[in-house]
Amino acid sequence: MAYRRPYRMAVVLALLPLVLAGVSASRAVGVEPPAADAAVERVIDHYLDAGLVERQTPPATQTADETLVRRLALDLIGRIPAAVEVRDYLADESPEKRAALVDRWLGSPEYVEHQATMFNAMIADGEGDLKTYLQAALAENRSWDQVFREIVLADRSGDAGRDAQDFLRRRVRDIDVLANDVSVAFFGVNITCAKCHDHPLVDDWKQDHFYGMKSFFSRTFETGGFVGEREYGQIKFTNTTGTEREAKLMFLTGVVIDEPQRDEPSKDERKREDERLKELAKKKEPPPPPEFSRRAQLVETALAEGQRAMFARAIVNRLWYQYFGQGLVMPLDQMHSANPSPHPELLDALADDLISHGYDLRRLVRGIVMSQAYSRDSRWEGDQRPDAEAFAVAQPKPLTPTQMARSMSLATADTESLASVDDADERAKRIASLAKTQNADLFEQPGVDFQISANEALLLSNSERIEKNYLSGGLVKQLAKIEDARELVTRAVWSVLSRAPSEEEIELLEGYVSTREDRREQACGQLVWALLASSEFRFNH
Amino acid sequence: MTRAGHHRLCGSDVHRRAFLGAAAAGAAALVGDVTGIRILSQPALASELRRNDRRCILLWLAGGASQLETWDPKPGRPTGGPFLDIGTSVPGVRISELMPKMAANLHRHTAIIRSLNTGNGDHGGGSELMMRGRGREGGLAYPDLGAMLARELGQADSQVPDYVSFYSETEGRNFSRLSAGFLGSRYNPIELTDKMALPDVERLESIGELDHRERADLRALWSKRFARGRDVSAVSSHNVAYERVRGLMASDKLFDISTESQATRDKYGPTQFGEQALIARRLVEAGVPFVRVARAWWDSHGQNFETHQELTPELDHVMNALLDDLAERGMLENTLVVTLAEFGRTPNINASLGRDHFARAWSSTLSGCGVKAGSVYGRTDDDGQHVADGEIGAGELFATIFQALGIDHEKEYHVGARPIPLVNPGIVPVEEVLA
Repeated sequence: MAYRRPYRMAVVLALLPLVLAGVSASRAVGVEPPAADAAVERVIDHYLDAGLVERQTPPATQTADETLVRRLALDLIGRIPAAVEVRDYLADESPEKRAALVDRWLGSPEYVEHQATMFNAMIADGEGDLKTYLQAALAENRSWDQVFREIVLADRSGDAGRDAQDFLRRRVRDIDVLANDVSVAFFGVNITCAKCHDHPLVDDWKQDHFYGMKSFFSRTFETGGFVGEREYGQIKFTNTTGTEREAKLMFLTGVVIDEPQRDEPSKDERKREDERLKELAKKKEPPPPPEFSRRAQLVETALAEGQRAMFARAIVNRLWYQYFGQGLVMPLDQMHSANPSPHPELLDALADDLISHGYDLRRLVRGIVMSQAYSRDSRWEGDQRPDAEAFAVAQPKPLTPTQMARSMSLATADTESLASVDDADERAKRIASLAKTQNADLFEQPGVDFQISANEALLLSNSERIEKNYLSGGLVKQLAKIEDARELVTRAVWSVLSRAPSEEEIELLEGYVSTREDRREQACGQLVWALLASSEFRFNH
Repeated sequence: MTRAGHHRLCGSDVHRRAFLGAAAAGAAALVGDVTGIRILSQPALASELRRNDRRCILLWLAGGASQLETWDPKPGRPTGGPFLDIGTSVPGVRISELMPKMAANLHRHTAIIRSLNTGNGDHGGGSELMMRGRGREGGLAYPDLGAMLARELGQADSQVPDYVSFYSETEGRNFSRLSAGFLGSRYNPIELTDKMALPDVERLESIGELDHRERADLRALWSKRFARGRDVSAVSSHNVAYERVRGLMASDKLFDISTESQATRDKYGPTQFGEQALIARRLVEAGVPFVRVARAWWDSHGQNFETHQELTPELDHVMNALLDDLAERGMLENTLVVTLAEFGRTPNINASLGRDHFARAWSSTLSGCGVKAGSVYGRTDDDGQHVADGEIGAGELFATIFQALGIDHEKEYHVGARPIPLVNPGIVPVEEVLA
């Protein structure tokens, strides 16, 4: 699809310092920066290790293989690993086994499903549903700039546009919200602080920036379930000194786009336009595209050389947050000059790498999960746990509703059938089918600084839905058939926590079961419950 | 875990306060959230947060009660409708004749505000505004009154719920969405609709009492081992949540009014609204900081007078009984009772003898804790079309509620770098109704 070049870009506020997040004087790190074509994981470890040296904080050790497999499974395919998947990994003696596992999972349908769920929560954020669209996009590893285009242009001509337009459609009634949501989702900035006054914290953000962003969407409207765009319409606003100003078509970096002069239509013209639109809506046809599309200008401007770093850094930060539980810039929607990243060179290097590799998200994700920083232990043995922003130790991340539901389902499933399947693909399919998404609605989507509610603890403790779905069949029935208590508790820990229990843990659990010999199956259910409701299960650690 | 840029950005002096410094090891964007949990390990500071056990009950008149048929009657005017006004125990103050009980006791506990101009006459938008003290703005999910009070007045490890809402009628329930917003799910309400009891507080029959307790102990032990070396707030919140389970299960009995004396039950009356108000009293008595009891559906676009002839006397009876009961128990000093809705109703009477949505000049009341009893603030013009004196919006009302409960309305939460005060900046409480 061909896109017109921006009409004409003119940097009007030439003196405006474009110091956006990440752009700052390079810090001496004492080591030569990695080559431009270095593997992403090398770039990550280079900068983070240099930071740790500077802080004089030795990082946590690399986590155990079984913990790494669990972490990778939850992060890449949205569920805990089946015991057999962990065992296979432990038995594998190849030095390349981590890369092989990452590549296998990154290429699996479960990755597409999981990442689509994560992106849907991130972009649509409960307002509209982009899941179907994102699944299709991720299945073919569509580039991130293309995803942005399709969502913001909401082009009806292809299937992609039809599914992607829900984002705009659900927000078009309130252009302020729409402009801000686009800024948050794709540029990592919340601009509403600059709506009623110049931004109080960010010197380089004026009201012009808010109304500039709003202008890109001001001609967008909904008709008959379609998103359309008009040829005319200007935004005026009153600044804090009471002066009325006409909003310029201005991107967040301060770039202003000139556009062809358009007179406001007469009353009659408007009436005819309304009638035409009604006709089209009746025929269930989309409104005609405008000759000059302001939204297309936004897309082209945001992706233009010299402007696109903001767009690239925002998605780098989002994905980084998803995998590390802490962004390179926090909060995620405050990526501006007053809130620089503690790792500016790394953020820039990853953004540059993303741009030079065609916004290939899988390359970035692969680099993240292959880094040493990613595979550090989440337990801190020293006195004072270092700040999360040092990335010296992994952050335990609360499971998302879908991760939680699928993991509970797989952890408590009847996995006997897996033993007889030798074909790797077939087995992967079976495991995926045991990890069911039902009951995801019982859990809350974790945000930044998530706190688990007492309602969830009550639900786990007393709900019939939990009892019926996870504690009555499958694993519990299998455990009850095992005579040897040691074998029984070992199996339970492997199934639920994806690892072998320690001697001490075996004794503890054996003790619990042995005092309930008269009600063994119930004891098995209680054992499984205690593990399932434990913090170790609740978190990706 | 400290936020990137956090210390550099937050200019508020909240940061410099000692008790936050103590909690900085686990500081998060929502600074106070973590302090709420950690503070308990520091007794001297914990007392600072415990505000003399102050509580709040909100009687939510869903759909929009008419100010003309309750607190601000206009008898004899074209907009007045058929009902008269009556004198109250406060000289010179008259309210609707449909409220004789409150009229007789008005001087004891209650302040009337007659000058709300809130600007949103839409059920959804009005509910959002009047439950939060501000409209939707700034791309932020603001917490509602209950969540803020749960946060300010509750205790992190409380053994009772800290935010309960009753809304039994189906009309309008979805307009009135409650949410803790950026304060996080820890402060979300427990919402009761058809059943008058907490969800999931009863032990299933399939597990015995001892086993239920011991498997929880096993879970706690296992989780404690996990938490060692993983000192982050999300992990501790998981264990705090489970520690509250037994207390919440025991608080089930708070919802059972059969243990109340017949005399007390008779006082509240056999209506659902009355029984829920009685449960609300039991809850605040047990330490629940905020309870909302919604009564629907006041949305009288047609037959306004029949609707109010039915609902106003019920409100009069239940509100009077509640205040009386709280006072008798010595609880009213610490308990604020608020009547509020999403808006009031038009002075103009429409062709269906109804009144429509009206947010320009309407009323609310505050009773008990921190309130100057018998005071009346603000005035509408002769026909009730406009506020003639003392106009306030939702923000001022909220500031007043916070002030009455001893909470600094200028206190700031932090959402990332953004300082968010409890009410929007520059808004002040209505001192005239405060004791």
